[in-house]
Amino acid sequence: MSVNDSLIVIVLAQAILYGTPLLYAALGELLAERSGVLNLGVQGMMLFGAAVGFWTTQRIDGSGPAALFLAVLVSALAGAALAAIHAFLVITLRANQIVSGLALTIFAGGLGLSAYLGTELGLADLPAVHQFSDLDVLGLGDLPVVGPILFDQSALVYASWILTLLVALYLGRTRWGLNVRAVGEAPASADAMGVNVTLYRYVHVMVGGAFAGVAGACYSLSITPGWTAGDTLVGGAGWIAIALVIFAFWRAELCLVGAYLFGALSALPFALQAREVDVTPEFLYALPYVMTIVVLVLVSTGLARRRLGAPAALGVPYVREER
Amino acid sequence: MVGITKQFPGVVANDGVSFEAAAGEVHALLGENGAGKTTLSNILTGLYRPDAGEIELYGESVRFHSPRAAIEAGIGMVHQHFRLVEPFSVAENVILGDHRGAGGRAILRPAATERRVDELSRRYGLAVNPKAKIWQLSIGEQQRVEILKALYREARVLIMDEPTAVLTPQEAEGLFATLRAMADEGKTVIFISHKLHEVKAVADRVTVLRGGKTVATVDAAPSTARSLASLMVGREIEVVRPLEHARQLADVTALDVDGLTVVGDRGETAVRDVSFSIREGEIVGVAGVAGNGQRELAEALSGMRDIEAGSIRISGRLLHGGDPREAILAGVAHVPEDRLGTGLAPSLSVTSNVVMKTYRRRSLSHGPLLALRRMRDVAVRVVRRYDVKTPGTDTPVRNLSGGNLQKLILGREFEDDPLVLVVAQPTRGLDVGAIETVHSYLRDAAARGVGVLVMSEDLDEIRALSDRILVVYEGEIAGELHAGAASIEEIGLLMAGGARE
Amino acid sequence: MKLERRLTQPWWLSVAVPIGSLVVAFAIIGVVLALTGHDTWETYRKIVEAGFTGSGAMSATLISATPILFTGLAAAAAFRMQLFNIGAEGQLYLGAVGASWIALQLGDRDATSTPLFVVAMCVAAAALGALWALIPGVLRAFARTNEIITSLMLNYVAGLLLTYLIFDSSSYWRDTSTLQARAFPQGKPMPEASNWPTFGASVVVPLGFLLGILAALALWVLYSRMRFGFEVGVIADSPRAARYAGMRTRRKILAVMAISGAIAGIGGASQIGDFTHTLDGSPTGLQAAAFGYTGIVVAALARYNPFAVCLVAVLIGGLLNAGYTLQGPDFPSGLVGVMQGIILFCALGGELLLRYRLRITRVRAGTPIGEGAT
Repeated sequence: MSVNDSLIVIVLAQAILYGTPLLYAALGELLAERSGVLNLGVQGMMLFGAAVGFWTTQRIDGSGPAALFLAVLVSALAGAALAAIHAFLVITLRANQIVSGLALTIFAGGLGLSAYLGTELGLADLPAVHQFSDLDVLGLGDLPVVGPILFDQSALVYASWILTLLVALYLGRTRWGLNVRAVGEAPASADAMGVNVTLYRYVHVMVGGAFAGVAGACYSLSITPGWTAGDTLVGGAGWIAIALVIFAFWRAELCLVGAYLFGALSALPFALQAREVDVTPEFLYALPYVMTIVVLVLVSTGLARRRLGAPAALGVPYVREER
Repeated sequence: MVGITKQFPGVVANDGVSFEAAAGEVHALLGENGAGKTTLSNILTGLYRPDAGEIELYGESVRFHSPRAAIEAGIGMVHQHFRLVEPFSVAENVILGDHRGAGGRAILRPAATERRVDELSRRYGLAVNPKAKIWQLSIGEQQRVEILKALYREARVLIMDEPTAVLTPQEAEGLFATLRAMADEGKTVIFISHKLHEVKAVADRVTVLRGGKTVATVDAAPSTARSLASLMVGREIEVVRPLEHARQLADVTALDVDGLTVVGDRGETAVRDVSFSIREGEIVGVAGVAGNGQRELAEALSGMRDIEAGSIRISGRLLHGGDPREAILAGVAHVPEDRLGTGLAPSLSVTSNVVMKTYRRRSLSHGPLLALRRMRDVAVRVVRRYDVKTPGTDTPVRNLSGGNLQKLILGREFEDDPLVLVVAQPTRGLDVGAIETVHSYLRDAAARGVGVLVMSEDLDEIRALSDRILVVYEGEIAGELHAGAASIEEIGLLMAGGARE
Repeated sequence: MKLERRLTQPWWLSVAVPIGSLVVAFAIIGVVLALTGHDTWETYRKIVEAGFTGSGAMSATLISATPILFTGLAAAAAFRMQLFNIGAEGQLYLGAVGASWIALQLGDRDATSTPLFVVAMCVAAAALGALWALIPGVLRAFARTNEIITSLMLNYVAGLLLTYLIFDSSSYWRDTSTLQARAFPQGKPMPEASNWPTFGASVVVPLGFLLGILAALALWVLYSRMRFGFEVGVIADSPRAARYAGMRTRRKILAVMAISGAIAGIGGASQIGDFTHTLDGSPTGLQAAAFGYTGIVVAALARYNPFAVCLVAVLIGGLLNAGYTLQGPDFPSGLVGVMQGIILFCALGGELLLRYRLRITRVRAGTPIGEGAT
């Protein structure tokens, strides 16, 4: 048995597979939160993006790559549209961000818009016409260890790496990144310095939604090609992504690390089962959730002492003329 | 600015205000708190839009739709409450929102910005490290960053809003020199203040505002403090003189602090081995620039912060510290400087706020149930006795003006018959009438035997109220003076860390 | 045109705005329906009939309303103090686990008194629900960990626990008596005496619903007439002021979370005692019903007022009931979630009018201020 069939390698390779939607969603939520807006609707946006993306592949006659690209694009737009609702409510109408995000999840989620669309369009019965397949980059997919992990992933995975880099550079090195960080930390100061707080918040929330939509598409177009009703398509991924942002200390690079960590935890049950290792499945399935709590606790106690962390104005609506 | 009018819910902040300032001039806007100076400047910098009126800049009529427009027109402002982003560095704050030059490019070049900041800071005598993070800087240094922000954007008009509130007298002198240098270069400096001697020290001309209207524009040199003061207030007032002789005091100790050490938010030692005592009926003033441990000291005394070392005794009773309820029950009353954020619950009613500390008493509750009518009665009593102007006792306290908020808090604290009263910045932001009232309440409390500790950045106030003055510097008591014997120079020297002669 | 903070709130506004936003919501939903080829009025008529007016409709509605009454109260209790307990879902599951355990235990000892069962089930359920809620509560109070994520994660864990108990173990709860039961996992049936009574004939009111109303009353008294509620109010408005006033914030967090979890737990007991009479561990049963999340919708729409929660629970219950009954080509699944979402959006938007007013002004030199205020 080659090393590439060993448990570790398989789990790591799958960690990346399962972690990719988490990464997309986390990066999106990261951008929104950096601008000071909490969007708890990630779960709903993912489910909607998954449904819409899948539907798009059904409707496009054409080559695989083009259809898939278009599907991802449509998923992104769908996510952004949903996020726009949340943005309007919390930025312009100054509604409570937590309740609004939850409302979005209920509206768009497994018992809402996604299901509505899914059953109206009969998505559950349709076979996957197009799906992302693993690209054997430069034929290096068979290299020991690194082969399957790094070189045999789908386009979505590679795109996510580029995206992580872009987001990190954007936030850290560009003028707009500086502006958005200021908006999230001290909107009054940013406003006084001429930065359009409202605009930045809208844009970042909607882009966040777009990423969430793509994250959803990862499921219906790559991980479990097809569509099923309810929340089961994505499990608790939307919520885990939100937690990811926190323990990545609101940094893009750490989102990547965290996403793959959780991806590994998600992949473990299947890998172990395939080896007929007898562990209670529920225990393994519960691991990601328990881990999230543990990590969150560690981060919170750390944050209390250090000055890194949450954008100071996160969750608070900004009003310019309030006396 | 001509005929500027601006309204907010419940108040007309500016009513047909007009004044003009010349290039190369330091022009002061003088007025007591609430006269409309800050609102006016916020209009000039594009943060607010006037309901009526015109603004002309270098002869051209302008209208600012946003702060950016004002900045691009060459107007820079240093606010009383800084508009800085704490986790960012000095350089990052300076280039935030800037389009031109190094900030205008998509990719930031921190090195270039830092060099330019260095250049400007040397030219105008505003020493600061461009790489430092804002939260690491002292308030005086933060103010320099604010000025640098305006200079970086080539401001032609610089507005300073109450700049010396956070400076020692010596730092203020340095600031005035910087402002004069800018005026000499042809810039226009608008200096907003309510302090007479400052205005006389730095300004060429003075426009006096009162109750939202312009009263007069005069030359600074020929005016006296008294004439300016009467313009400001509309009547003849006595310029405040400190107490000439010590009052007769009982020899009972109300508050005894011994070797107190308190740790601040960042783990630093904020209060270092401080010892002092206050007798019943004595008013002790604590002078010092903000950030030298006063806040932490007040918090330790009121139980909101843990005691690291040393002891606090209230009439002999030892406080274990870290528990506000213990302090309250021991007889410590605390009027925090953050009135609406810490001292009160802004959305709750007057009644709720009045009983916030005492609702557990048998007089106000039947066991676990609240005695709502009795709570209301107490609230009504406090409102009447302390002259708090409010539409009713169910009004949310955020609707009250600053002066009434302070009266309310004081009234609440006094109703509980405290032994010790700790007050921080008692009259910040209040108009003269309210200031007089608050001072009279404090003196009444002392007359009743309460030991009063007043922390204030306003030296005049400290000197007017106190029997004794403690000066804090970097968490320690730099000096202790009797009010009658203390001169501003001496206090200022101690505030800045100079040793007492 | 700009928004101005209101100084005072006229009393009629707190009634007019919710009703107004409801009207707007249904208008929007009507448009959505029309656009997707459904007859709006017909659909509404069918909903009203299936949910409220039809024969047996109200009884079915109360069945749907009871669990969300409990989770709605649980959410309201916590959200009132700005504690966003999203974990009512899991706390309800744990309550069901506790209630079914004690019911089985009593059954093993041949107990026959139904009141005993009811009391015991409620106590056990409340205890487990409170405990489950105290996990995020303790983490929030002592480690300052965000309770939203922690309570949410625990929902998934609780669901997995349920599945484990019935599907992947031979636990006490699992029925292993017959060959069929061993092959197709299910929970043990509860003893007869543990069935909770119902009241009424034409409209059948489950005991759980009545208990829920009692809980609402108790919550109201606690929050508006007792010192406890006063402290909750101060902490909700300004935690710093609460600490300044000597209030024990941490203790309050724990207490509120425990109460919230207990109420949700009793909802779980009601599920066992009123309706299912067995512990339902399947992923398509209790876990798919989303009682906890729907409860949050109910609480938000009721603006966290316990009595309003009762009313809204019945309304949403009617909506849900209609959804189940009408499910089919004319009434797509997912419509219920969409409707809930739109109603909530409109309610959130309406909130704005409660806190701010609209003022139209003209900015021109010399002209007096013109205003059109709402």
